[in-house]
Amino acid sequence: MTVTLRINGSACRFHGDPMTPLVDVLRRERFLTGTKAVCREGFCGACTVEVDGEAVMSCLRPIGLLDGATVKSIEALAPGDTALHPLQAAFEAADVVQCGMCFPGMVMSLAPFLRENPDAGRNEIKAAMVGNICRCTGYERIVDAVMNFLDSQKMEQANG
Amino acid sequence: MFDSMERSLTVAGSIEEALAAKHRGAAVLAGGTWLMRDPRRGVNLPDVLVSLHALPALFTVEIEKDQVVIGASVTHAGLARQLAGLNGFDAVVAAANGAANPAIRRVATVGGNLCTFDFAAADLLPVFLAMNAVVELRSIGERQVLPIAEFLANRRVFLRDSILTSVILRRDVIASAHARLPLRRAGDYPVAIVSAVRGHDGRVRIAVGSVEDVARRWISLEAVLAIEPASVSADPERMRALAAQCVDFRGRDGIEADGWYRCQVLPTLVRRAIASLSAKESVQ
Ligand SMILES: Cc1cc2nc3c(=O)[nH]c(=O)nc-3n(C[C@H](O)[C@H](O)[C@H](O)COP(=O)(O)OP(=O)(O)OC[C@H]3O[C@@H](n4cnc5c(N)ncnc54)[C@H](O)[C@@H]3O)c2cc1C
Ligand code: FES
Ligand code: FES
Repeated sequence: MTVTLRINGSACRFHGDPMTPLVDVLRRERFLTGTKAVCREGFCGACTVEVDGEAVMSCLRPIGLLDGATVKSIEALAPGDTALHPLQAAFEAADVVQCGMCFPGMVMSLAPFLRENPDAGRNEIKAAMVGNICRCTGYERIVDAVMNFLDSQKMEQANG
Repeated sequence: MFDSMERSLTVAGSIEEALAAKHRGAAVLAGGTWLMRDPRRGVNLPDVLVSLHALPALFTVEIEKDQVVIGASVTHAGLARQLAGLNGFDAVVAAANGAANPAIRRVATVGGNLCTFDFAAADLLPVFLAMNAVVELRSIGERQVLPIAEFLANRRVFLRDSILTSVILRRDVIASAHARLPLRRAGDYPVAIVSAVRGHDGRVRIAVGSVEDVARRWISLEAVLAIEPASVSADPERMRALAAQCVDFRGRDGIEADGWYRCQVLPTLVRRAIASLSAKESVQ
């Protein structure tokens, strides 16, 4: 089956097994290895990417369903030598990243959520992170960093 | 991983095209959140599939005066969003919002949840049972509408030739509640689920999921309630005690919990569901 889609702004064509998980297309064909395949079962969230603006698990998205779709992976948030996305920067500043395995997925889940819910509180943030498992950090510090990020976004807006 | 490079996927442009492909042996692909894990379960993915994702009619939720018609391709997230705030439908919203995790809920469909016959922990099943839902099945040249309990009793046979196209819920409920027990919050399968619905006739209907292989109504508890004064079914503690006397389930042993434990937690889930039901009734 041939599937045409946009990945991080580039038009791409895939030809092969329609049940190939999107994560394998990203990693093996496009060499976008920021997206991690950890559990391949929808439980850990390390493979989260945006498809048509929504955060989904790329291990469970068959490429055959994605003809015409727009996919954004972690690499698109801060391409090349550009500055980190402010959420990535907030994680780095708060020193919450340890082994780092979960973080591309964590950022890809939270970025669209925070875009739509700029006034989210701790509980809403925790609910949005339910599908992203981190074995290293404990979650409270990640939530602290997200709250810092939201505060700084609000300050920036207030200062025009 | 690439067990079949010859695999084919038909993107059906009409329900008739989907039915024809199904008739020729294609497996239905909805959101894929269950099917994509076949290799993890040691099962080969189907070689021939037909997808429903290009059939817009299956993505709608129609809220009519007397009933709500839910298309099979509506996702859990879409269902929760569209029914939020609809009187009496809190249990459906809670089930759709509580299942799995947010990313799965954006993709997993109502049809997939109802048609996965080897999945015992489906959240929508007990709710739909307690709501007295009917399901619409289409096969070539035929449309069948049947109570969900009948569908569940014989899913494998019904789904041999049919595609589930919609679920129909009557708007004759006063309030509903959904109580589930996961071991952690991290999107794991619920150990046990209780859905409770109070109908316009004042009766409470209760259904249980994840305890046995297939969800079912708790008929023995409902029968006891039918001879008690109505006040009993609004009293969470008395309901818990009654439920404890009526546990007639054979709990399944599974990776998250043993069968006895699933049965043991049911009275407490009944108490929680009834407390939530009563709170909703008092608000109305
Ligand atoms: C990490 C994780 C956690 C989960 N936790 C929960 C939970 O807490 N509660 C819960 O309820 N569920 C849970 N699930 C299961 C999830 O709800 C199901 O995987 C999902 O509902 C299946 O829907 P789908 O659209 O992805 O189906 P698919 O994977 O596309 O299909 C599943 C099956 O249904 C058949 N099928 C699909 N649609 C139709 C149709 N319209 N007519 C006929 N046959 C059809 C397919 O042929 C296939 O056999 C979880 C899943 C994951 C991955
Ligand atoms: S690899 Fe996709 S959820 Fe874990
Ligand atoms: S930092 Fe190691 S899993 Fe999250």
